[in-house]
Amino acid sequence: MKSHFLFPYWCRYLGWGLVILHVPISILGRANGMVNIMDNGPTSQGLFTGVHLFFICTSLVMVAGLFLVAFAKEKIEDEQIWQIRLDSLRWAIYINYIILIASLVFIEDVGHMLELNLWVPLIFFIIRFRWVIFRLNRSLSKEG
Amino acid sequence: MKNNIRVERAIKNITQADLAEQVGVSRQTINTIESQKYVPSTVLALKIARVFGKPLEEVFTLEEGD
Repeated sequence: MKSHFLFPYWCRYLGWGLVILHVPISILGRANGMVNIMDNGPTSQGLFTGVHLFFICTSLVMVAGLFLVAFAKEKIEDEQIWQIRLDSLRWAIYINYIILIASLVFIEDVGHMLELNLWVPLIFFIIRFRWVIFRLNRSLSKEG
Repeated sequence: MKNNIRVERAIKNITQADLAEQVGVSRQTINTIESQKYVPSTVLALKIARVFGKPLEEVFTLEEGD
């Protein structure tokens, strides 16, 4: 089956690499007094200044990593995988909007909601997608 | 939708993995189709029937409620 708009299989490892990479950058940056834009709201220092670059190197690297993990091809990308992918995406959007709407009603902190929105759909999609594939593989090994 | 892929495989003496390779899907997909957890697309169903050299309706049949 032809699958358009998916990254090659190896991008999954690149993606996890980026997700892991953002952890030490984030810890080091914070230890040196850097602040994430998300924690303080937008600053008036302009683009590509220290704070903005720190934001790019942490939050955006992580999100780019999650994006690559979520949308990298499987080893055998067939129609069932395609269906699981769509199904997981639908659930991810549901969960994201439920959280978004609930937080718009109950929380005033709009800045953190953007951060939540950055990764909730991707994380939920990845967890659900991998969980269904894990269950498929487990049922296969049970039957031998 | 019911299917008798398992029986046809036994007649032809091929494994799930063999069939999967011939139609270009994963073994998991063949397994879930056999256990009727997944309904294949028309293209895949036609490919599977072609491997067994039989018309589609001898391999896949509608059941009540479909």
